[in-house]
Amino acid sequence: MTPSSQMGSTPSRTPKRVAVTGFGIVSPLGNDEDTFFEALKAGRSGVRRLDAPFAGRLANKITAPVDLDVSAHVPAPKLRMLDRFSQLALVAAHQAMASANLQLNAEARARTGVFIGTGYGGGHIIDDGYHALYADGATRLPPFTVLMAMQNAAAAWIGIELALSGPNLTFSTACSSSAVAIGEAWRRIRSGETDVILAGGSEAPLNFGTLKAWEALRTMASEDPNDPAASCKPFARDRSGLVLGEGAAILVLEDWEHALRRGAHIRGELLGYGLATDNEHITRPTIDGQARTMQLALESAGLPAAAIDYINAHGTGTQANDATETAAIKQVFGTRAYDIPISATKSMHGHLLGAGAAVELVATLLAMEHGILPPTINLAQHDPECDLDYVADGARSARGVQIAMSNSFAFGGTNAVLVCGSAPRNG
Amino acid sequence: MSTDDTSTFDVLCEVIAKDHGLDPETLTPDTPLADLTIDSLALIELIFTLEDRFSVVADNVPADLPTLGSVAEYIDGLRRCASDPDAATADASE
Repeated sequence: MTPSSQMGSTPSRTPKRVAVTGFGIVSPLGNDEDTFFEALKAGRSGVRRLDAPFAGRLANKITAPVDLDVSAHVPAPKLRMLDRFSQLALVAAHQAMASANLQLNAEARARTGVFIGTGYGGGHIIDDGYHALYADGATRLPPFTVLMAMQNAAAAWIGIELALSGPNLTFSTACSSSAVAIGEAWRRIRSGETDVILAGGSEAPLNFGTLKAWEALRTMASEDPNDPAASCKPFARDRSGLVLGEGAAILVLEDWEHALRRGAHIRGELLGYGLATDNEHITRPTIDGQARTMQLALESAGLPAAAIDYINAHGTGTQANDATETAAIKQVFGTRAYDIPISATKSMHGHLLGAGAAVELVATLLAMEHGILPPTINLAQHDPECDLDYVADGARSARGVQIAMSNSFAFGGTNAVLVCGSAPRNG
Repeated sequence: MSTDDTSTFDVLCEVIAKDHGLDPETLTPDTPLADLTIDSLALIELIFTLEDRFSVVADNVPADLPTLGSVAEYIDGLRRCASDPDAATADASE
C-alpha cells in the first residue's frame, strides 16, 4: 500500500492505489447519499407493496421501488430513448461526477472509463414490446427498442452524456454484476491503464414480466402480515426470501496520485477484489466458493483476515444464502467471525440485483465515513445456523472500523468480494 | 378513408411539443428537425405516431425530410392517397 510515484499516463508494473472520490446513488432509501445514509442509520425500510397497474396480478407485491421524478433530471427527448435502468444510471452518474468535482479536459476524458453492472438491462421496453406484440396484436415496435433494451445502454449513455471516451464496459453476472464492474475497474486503474473510472451498477426489474419470472423462482419474500416494510429478514429464522428492488449507484474510482494532484476529496480506498465461481449448481451457493472468494479478495488487498473490521453481507434473506454465507464467513475468519459486525442492508433497500453490490459498497464507505454501522433490521427471531453479530439491535458506532469487506454472490455462481478502506489512509 | 380535417402540421407540433417538453407556438414549418435533435430513428418514431394518428401507411419515407414542414407535407400526401380510392389503389405497391 505504498503510494505509487508513477505519473499515470502509461501502464506500469507498480500497482497504483485506487481512491474513491465520489458517489451517486438512486435507491429505495433515497436519491442522494445523505438521504440514503440517514435511512440506513435509522433502520428505515424502503420495502413496500408495489403500486402499479399490474400489481393485482402479482402473487407477491412486496418490492423496493425508487421514488424519483426522472423527468426533473433528464430532458424529455432523451428520456424517451432511455429504459428505466439507463435513466437511473444516468442520474447516479451525474451525481457522482458532481460529488467528485471532476472537471476533465479532452485528454483526461480519453483516460476516463465507465464500467457498469446490470443483470437485466432494459427490461421495461422488452416487457412493453411483448405486450404490444402478443396482447395488443401490434405489427411493429418502437424504433428505439433495441437501443433501450441492450445491456450496455446505461454505460453507453453515461459515456455520451458525460463525454467520457475511455473504456466503456458492461458486466452481467446477475447479483454480483456491479461488484465485478467495480472490481474490474479497480484492476484497470491499479495497472495504470486508466486514470478514472465511473463504476457501479443499475437495475430496474420492477416490471410485470420480470416480477412474474421471479415469482416462479420461489425465492421472493412473503409479505410480513403485520408490516409489509418488514418483509425482508436476512439471517432471521423466519426469513422467507429476497425482496426485489431497483436503483443505481455509481462510484468515481481514481488513481490515488491523480486524485491527490487535483486536490480531490478522497472518500475511501478500494483495496482488493476477489472473483471466483461456484460451479456446482445454477442457483445453489457453496460455502467453499464464497469462502474462497473472500480469501482471494484479502490476498489481492495484501491483508490478513484479521484486518477486516466490518462486513456488508450479501445477506439476501433466502434460506440458502444466509446460512451458507454465515458458514463461509466462519471458514475465512475462524472464531474471530463472532467479533466482526455484519450488516445486511438489503433488509432495508432490498435486493438490487446487478446494482446491489454498488449500493452496498456506497453504504459501507459511508458507514466508515460517518462512523456508524447500519443495522440489519427485521432480525428478531434468531436462527441457530446464523449466529454471528448482524448488528440486529440498531445502528452502532463504527469507531475503529477502518477496513471493510462487501460480499456479492450470484445466480450462475459468479462470486465477487470487494475490500475497502476508510479515508484517508495515507499509507 | 380518412375524413379527418385536422391539420397535419398542428398534430405534428402537438406531438413534438409533448415529447420534447416544448411550447408548440415555437415550432414553424421551417424548424429544422436537427434543431429538435430529431435524428433518423426519432423521425421514424415520429412517423409511426403520425401513421397511427391519421390511419395512413408510410412505406417509403423519403430520405430528405429536413424540416417540420417537409414532414407535414409528406404525411399530407399520404392522407390524400388514403382519402382518394383511385390514388390509394395506384399507391398499393406492396
